[in-house]
Amino acid sequence: MADDKKRIKILIAKPGLDGHDRGAKVVAQALKEAGMEVIYSGLHKRIDQIINIAIQEDVDFIGLSIMTGAHIPITQKLMNKLKEKGITDKMVFVGGVIPSMDIPKLKELGVGGIFPGGTPLQETIEFIKSKAQKA
Amino acid sequence: MELIKKILDGNEASAARLISMIEEGREEGYRAIAALFPHTGKAHIVGITGAPGSGKSTIIDKLAIKFSEMGKKIGIIAIDPTSIKSNGALLGDRVRMRGAERIEGVFIRSMAHRGYPGGIAKATMGALYVLEGLGKDLIIIESVGVGQTELQISSVCDTVITVFTPDYGDDVQLMKAGIIEIGDIIVINKSDMPGAEEAAKDIASHINYEKKDWQVPVILAQAQRGEGIDRIIDALGSHLEYLKKNNPKGEYRAQKLRKLMFLFLKEELWVRAMKKWIDRNEIKGIVDMVENREIDIYSAVSQAAGIILPD
Ligand SMILES: Nc1nc2c(ncn2[C@@H]2O[C@H](COP(=O)(O)OP(=O)(O)OP(=O)(O)O)[C@@H](O)[C@H]2O)c(=O)[nH]1
Ligand SMILES: [Mg+2]
Repeated sequence: MADDKKRIKILIAKPGLDGHDRGAKVVAQALKEAGMEVIYSGLHKRIDQIINIAIQEDVDFIGLSIMTGAHIPITQKLMNKLKEKGITDKMVFVGGVIPSMDIPKLKELGVGGIFPGGTPLQETIEFIKSKAQKA
Repeated sequence: MELIKKILDGNEASAARLISMIEEGREEGYRAIAALFPHTGKAHIVGITGAPGSGKSTIIDKLAIKFSEMGKKIGIIAIDPTSIKSNGALLGDRVRMRGAERIEGVFIRSMAHRGYPGGIAKATMGALYVLEGLGKDLIIIESVGVGQTELQISSVCDTVITVFTPDYGDDVQLMKAGIIEIGDIIVINKSDMPGAEEAAKDIASHINYEKKDWQVPVILAQAQRGEGIDRIIDALGSHLEYLKKNNPKGEYRAQKLRKLMFLFLKEELWVRAMKKWIDRNEIKGIVDMVENREIDIYSAVSQAAGIILPD
């Protein structure tokens, strides 16, 4: 009946030149099936566009899907812009082709969760749900 | 209130937050709406409906680009279905609104249909108030394209655009559901596909022109290439003029608002009654009797209603 409860809202975004979105779509679909409301950005979004979408859609999480190897500069730019705009209530995740040696650097940038390719979907889902509960 | 002031100043984050609060049915959200209300009522509200994949988002994208060039401030509410199984939703309309998304002053909000008490109209109405407070003068609602929702959406809109494609033959259901009747403007999109002219004729033949003094235009379009968009813009302008001329005091809106008010009231009463009565023994007893096939449904409802609301 009454269905106006708070839902987990998450933006799955494809920044930059990256033209591969099969993985992003699989994740989006899985999160939907786990009961979340997922906004998919489509390809080739600039950082300021991604932030605009996150603001207008009032999402709780921003998930970046990056396969190009440029995950560090892109994530850094996003984190800087978020700070600049005073946005503190949206947690950022990064997924895609992420070598394990880059994980500490991403964490240092303030990323809330990192899901390298091959991470079981269930793990991603559980992680997001646990973070949402704390929020 | 701080939130209201920010929205009236054009702060998108505050507007987005308030829409979420309405989606969540929060009291403070409704209070904020009451404060915003005096600043609303002037925008042209346009609904766009049609079968999945018919090109609604693409049309909105092109409309928003052109209207922005004309100096209008555009708000877009894109509704997608909620999965019945998981309660989740994949909101993908923005993907086809790439052009509009880049324009400053265009605010796009996706909304999952959920199973709103009071129907999708309740959350949509809230979002409309907020977008008007944000200063939008044209607000376009993309709807999921099925049954009851469409009828509800049309009651919050001034003008409804119904989109068909040349292969609409599969959409007999839509016609049965009254989709043609609610359209003030009909667009045959993807007219690059064969059969567009025939489709236009066929659909036009289903319009009951005698019952209306507004001549519903049937417009051929190829939204992807931007063709037909100017004609849709002209038709929107004409329809707004028609409404103003024939309803100098906004009578058509009064009628729709009255309908909405009773729709929302019905749901609110239901929610309140259930909260109060669902666990009481008198009602439980009647439910038990129904479950055990001791009494028929009509008698049960009559008894239960008599307890909840005695004469
Ligand atoms: N051939 C052709 N394809 C078009 C045209 N306009 C849009 N499309 C394509 O039709 C597909 C669906 O377009 P959308 O705008 O997403 O349609 P929609 O009605 O919003 O779809 P849903 O929101 O999923 O119901 C996309 O691949 C568009 O590129 C057109 O004029 N001709
Ligand atoms: Mg769409």
